[in-house]
Amino acid sequence: MSHPAHRRPEYHKINKDLFVLTYGALVAQLCKDYEKDEDVNQYLDKMGYGIGTRLVEDFLARSCVGRCHSYSEITDIIAQVAFKMYLGITPSVTCNNSSRNEFSLILDKNPLVEFVEELPAGSSLCYCNLLCGIIRGALEMVHLAADVTFLQDRLKGDSVTEIGITFLKKRDEKKYRWKK
Amino acid sequence: MAVCIAVIAKENYPLYIRSTPTENELKFHYMVHTSLDVVDEKISAMGKALVDQRELYLGLLYPTEDYKVYGYVTNSKVKFVMVVDSSNTALRDNEIRSMFRKLHNSYTDVMCNPFYNPGDRIHPGGPYFLCPYPVQVGPTSCVRSSPGGPYSCVRSSPAGPLITW
Repeated sequence: MSHPAHRRPEYHKINKDLFVLTYGALVAQLCKDYEKDEDVNQYLDKMGYGIGTRLVEDFLARSCVGRCHSYSEITDIIAQVAFKMYLGITPSVTCNNSSRNEFSLILDKNPLVEFVEELPAGSSLCYCNLLCGIIRGALEMVHLAADVTFLQDRLKGDSVTEIGITFLKKRDEKKYRWKK
Repeated sequence: MAVCIAVIAKENYPLYIRSTPTENELKFHYMVHTSLDVVDEKISAMGKALVDQRELYLGLLYPTEDYKVYGYVTNSKVKFVMVVDSSNTALRDNEIRSMFRKLHNSYTDVMCNPFYNPGDRIHPGGPYFLCPYPVQVGPTSCVRSSPGGPYSCVRSSPAGPLITW
């Protein structure tokens, strides 16, 4: 077993520069490999999905959050517990529609883009699309289908960075049974 | 106040050079070019001592009647050259050192941009490369890296031709 059986939820402090530079190198290499920004976004999302499906297990083991009863609770937990645990930031949550299945996470500070300058106008690259994939993958592992995209991006000149989460209804949903 | 600031690559070509727009910029470019010889001389002189003792700040490279030229070299052999007005006697060594340190920090930030390829020209426009004393160097004395490929800079810069040597 690679991990000890009894894991304490401790936060190991390391220098984030290596992580930020690694992510930057990943995106830069993808941009060189694929000419279209949309392809790069798609691959970042796919990679994030793979990370999210695995990361959710680690998250559930460490955070021991209780059962959620609504989409807004889930979004709050993503913002206040998950983002805090893995990125050290706490985005704010807003609800976008009255049926309470569309939410937005507003990030005022994003450590991943620390060294990146603004992308030129017209560029459709979502630099942090990996995060969208991670959220999507994590939610899918707890049997929740969701659409996660970037609604606004500071790198593209918007005032804030906003991630939109839209929870989709599954066709054969028997009852709400999820533990997050 | 700095009248001209230059960032020179390891191979002695300019990555970024900016001077007060009112003056004859060619003169400053020439001054920076000639100062490179002095920089090389200082590096080789210091190189005979132990590498540990070699400091990044080179100090006054050479004075002219109107200006003083200061130099700074990083461990990756990227040189920063600063031309300062001689009449400004209030500027002390410590201040010049701190200006170079800020320049070095800004250069590091530009290098960390994943879309910047080392050796590319640094173009003005973005928020990252701030000249420490912007007053005399131009209204938007900020620089951003100019990556190749689809992400080259779009913002126009104020006056300041980049001379190729």
